[in-house]
Amino acid sequence: MTSTDHTQTSGLGFVGQSVKRVEDDRLLRGHGSYVADVTPEGVLHAHFVRSTVAHANIARIDVAAARRAPGVVKVITGAEMKELTNPFPPFMMLPNMYTPLYWALSDDKVRLVGDPVAIIVAESRYLAEDAAQLVEIDYEPLTPVASISDAFNSSKDQLWEKADGNVLFDNTDTFGDIDSVFADADRIVTERFSCQRQSNQPMETRGTVVEVDPESQHLTITNATQSSHALRWIIAALTGKQSTATSLKSFVTNKERRTNLLAGLKAFVDEHSEDLAKADNAGAVSQFKKDKSFPLHLNRISANLAGKTDYPTVVAQDIGGGFGAKGSIAREDIAVAVAAIELGRSVKWIEDRVENLIDGGQAREEDLTVSIALDNDGTFRGLKVDLIMDQGAYPGFPIGAAFITQVMKVMYPGSYKWDAFQVTTKVVCTNKGKYIAYRGPWANETWVRERIIDIAARALRMSPTDLRLKNMIGEADMPTEMITGPTLDVTMSTRKCLERLVYEMDVPAFEAKRAAAAEEGRVLGLGFACFHEAAPGPPNYMDAINPGSGAASDEKARTVVQADGSVKIYTPQMPHGQSHETTYAQIAADELGVNIDDIELIWGNTDKTNFSAIGTGGSRGGPIGGGSVKYGTRELRKLIAAKAADMLEASVDDIEITGGNIHVAGVPSRGLSFAEVAQAKVGESAPGATEAFEATVNYRGKGDGGWSCAAHACVVEVDLDTGLVSIPRYVVVEDCGPIINPAIVDGQVRGGVAQGIGAVLYEGLSYDADANIQTTTYMDYLVPTAMEIPEIDIVHLETLSPGENDFRGVGEGGMIGAPAALTNAIEDALASRGARVTKQYLPPTTILEMAGVIDPDPNSDR
Amino acid sequence: MSNTTQVGETASLACTINGAAFAVEVDPRRTLSDVIREDAGLTGTHLGCEHGVCGACTILVDGEPARSCLMLGVQANGHDITTIEGLANGDELHPIQQAMHESHGFQCAFCSPGFLMSTVALLAENPSPTRAEIREELSGNICRCTGYESIIKGVETAVELLAGNEPEQTGQTGQTGQTGQESAQ
Repeated sequence: MTSTDHTQTSGLGFVGQSVKRVEDDRLLRGHGSYVADVTPEGVLHAHFVRSTVAHANIARIDVAAARRAPGVVKVITGAEMKELTNPFPPFMMLPNMYTPLYWALSDDKVRLVGDPVAIIVAESRYLAEDAAQLVEIDYEPLTPVASISDAFNSSKDQLWEKADGNVLFDNTDTFGDIDSVFADADRIVTERFSCQRQSNQPMETRGTVVEVDPESQHLTITNATQSSHALRWIIAALTGKQSTATSLKSFVTNKERRTNLLAGLKAFVDEHSEDLAKADNAGAVSQFKKDKSFPLHLNRISANLAGKTDYPTVVAQDIGGGFGAKGSIAREDIAVAVAAIELGRSVKWIEDRVENLIDGGQAREEDLTVSIALDNDGTFRGLKVDLIMDQGAYPGFPIGAAFITQVMKVMYPGSYKWDAFQVTTKVVCTNKGKYIAYRGPWANETWVRERIIDIAARALRMSPTDLRLKNMIGEADMPTEMITGPTLDVTMSTRKCLERLVYEMDVPAFEAKRAAAAEEGRVLGLGFACFHEAAPGPPNYMDAINPGSGAASDEKARTVVQADGSVKIYTPQMPHGQSHETTYAQIAADELGVNIDDIELIWGNTDKTNFSAIGTGGSRGGPIGGGSVKYGTRELRKLIAAKAADMLEASVDDIEITGGNIHVAGVPSRGLSFAEVAQAKVGESAPGATEAFEATVNYRGKGDGGWSCAAHACVVEVDLDTGLVSIPRYVVVEDCGPIINPAIVDGQVRGGVAQGIGAVLYEGLSYDADANIQTTTYMDYLVPTAMEIPEIDIVHLETLSPGENDFRGVGEGGMIGAPAALTNAIEDALASRGARVTKQYLPPTTILEMAGVIDPDPNSDR
Repeated sequence: MSNTTQVGETASLACTINGAAFAVEVDPRRTLSDVIREDAGLTGTHLGCEHGVCGACTILVDGEPARSCLMLGVQANGHDITTIEGLANGDELHPIQQAMHESHGFQCAFCSPGFLMSTVALLAENPSPTRAEIREELSGNICRCTGYESIIKGVETAVELLAGNEPEQTGQTGQTGQTGQESAQ
């Protein structure tokens, strides 16, 4: 082991230990509070009427009978909703991209099976669903757009009138002299890959409960959201639509409102001036060229936000997983809020699983044609990728095709050296569920890169790991940068991960096993894959994605010692399984010299937490949220120590805090408690002060690195009778730097790998030729169980970065590496039979087709 | 709709839930899971799919595991229901709950009530299952967060606790998880 290969703080404090989860007592007793558990007195229940056809104009919708049905209190149609709300605006506008505007409900046209066309609010969900049966809708069918090839077929009807056909984005980015590199290289290996549509499928579906204060009409929204502040702002922006003139009048006449809003905006602009200066308006120009109504809607939204004196409060407690799906702000979130506003009564909506499979969030459906130019000695020269992403009917909001294609663009080159790189990105729309972020949203950049490397290795008769290591950036090359821009420091340790993994997997021993198995007619394969990911990445990573987008990447924890000496930390993070209560308590307890139990984490309430555009997602909980807790509590300790130094008549430099005892070094017996110091401090304040000390630090990561890395490998056995693939060995060597809690990191890695295994062997959303979804239950969409997921071995490397070590994220990686390692292993197993894996989804029939056991199904679409 | 009841008519349901008598007039079409969650106010039982696959809503009916989303409330009439809230003994966690805590069993924990109730039933039937038996018995419950290893480890730890043994210290969820220092070989 190298000298850097150690835990920074292990044994010295709580960080680095597998501290047992603070969350568990509540959750294991069944005392958690998930959104479905929130039932305010007198709450009404919502149900959505959804389209039964994929693509049609609505000729007529008649809700009269539904309005008269027992228990029904309100029905709002799409046309009515359009009068009451603003459309979802484009979130990230790119040059050459058109992002359709859309409303909470559809009025004149439906674009997928499940498109919401009306919301029914009744005294119970049962009665609301009864009433839905009474809604009559006449559809005028349009030609369905059921696949990427349909989207390029000009005879198919357009989903969006203002688009050019069904292609919404077509753009090429080039880095280096791609043409001469490809002309000059010894050989070019090209393959076309396709990835099936997948879904996040958290065990808790989406849901929202909108409470209306009978006096003030203030909204309190309990929602299973990964991003409470974004939800609050978007609900404020899109609901309560009023004319721009009314909004502006309210803004002009309310001085307090005006002052507060302008001060808030000024603070944000001041804090992010460098980022904001990098942003240009090229994307907005493209958008305006396609949609002249865009500025009008943007003005209305802005004026609406400015004119409102009261934004909703979003609260959330326990959330049953998300994996990106709950970072989306849903059309349903808006519709339910509008129903509550219109009624002045509380309304609850809990999505069912069928709805969740239809439009709760889908991902990954991409075709990628990849060419690698390389020399005969294995030197990588150039890489070309042609991506077509199927974003479905409605754009994911806020994270959708715009953001994800740009992350993919930056990350395709991976941890390797290239002379040139080019990517062409096309985004198409089809009559399918919305494409959103799903754990490691950009992961197909790793899948296709690591696949084409294996294919090239076979062509060159080189070992796939030798070929990787020959071209991989290592410490000797640093500091350096990716060809797409982001800087790389020693935290980009993929090379160390792979070297270690090669050792762990003992390839010669595996080859002996493979040969012995072959004697028995058994078929084994071994596959490797590796990657690095921004966790959080260097500051110029966000610039490479889209200039200026770094303005959304920082976060502030507010850290407080209460008058009674207790410690509270207010985070804008939205934990949904990542164990923030435990890890943040570990960080804060170490900084403050107190115990885990002394820390209380407060999250989920937008009145109590600082603004964060993102919340929890993108592996940010450890690095960004954890960083703001670490530096915040460090400042808080200084304040406590200064006051205690006064009280103890000592120098502040001599103050130590251990186990909550604040004392002069060497004399713990004459120490002070947090309560004593806090009491003394509040004694100096105005009567009634509840907080003794407070510190808030804004954090966004620093330095030239901030990368997390991993190498994955697995051994597979393919059963040529059944087409089943088993995974007798799976090993991950991961490096997320200093680990806060090893057991929690292990859980993140294993959970991600499980989803990656699901992606390859079990999970695929399926649509028929008319774009009717076929996978609407868990009997059709197969989420793996304990029978399918193998034991996964994990080796942690903990490469330290230069200077003060900050935490690095680990949430996405398992899912990024697994599909690549597994498909590489399957191709390795079947290579002698001439198989080449070009699809990510490899159910038993596809395995048997590839192995030549059965003939390919001519009608198969995936 | 049944021939014998009309919309709006109710039926009587009397059962015990976690040892306490419970009686309510219910709509005959109301699911048992809704009765438990809404009428009895025991929201620890979760609904993940409402079509009997994910297992989050698993409860015990007369000691046998059942999907409460696939039962009507009235079918519980005269039976003993146990839900997740019935496991702990006051402040003291049930050994299976304690074992899951020791093993970092869950993450978001939305699925945990179903896994815990299935494990109660499994260990009542087979107090020392093999790892393969645990995997098979728990294959009726879906977890999306963990990859299952920590849950299986939790069941194994529960076996030890229920047998009165001190479980081995689980510094990490997986036996094979290694830190950099430990793994120098």
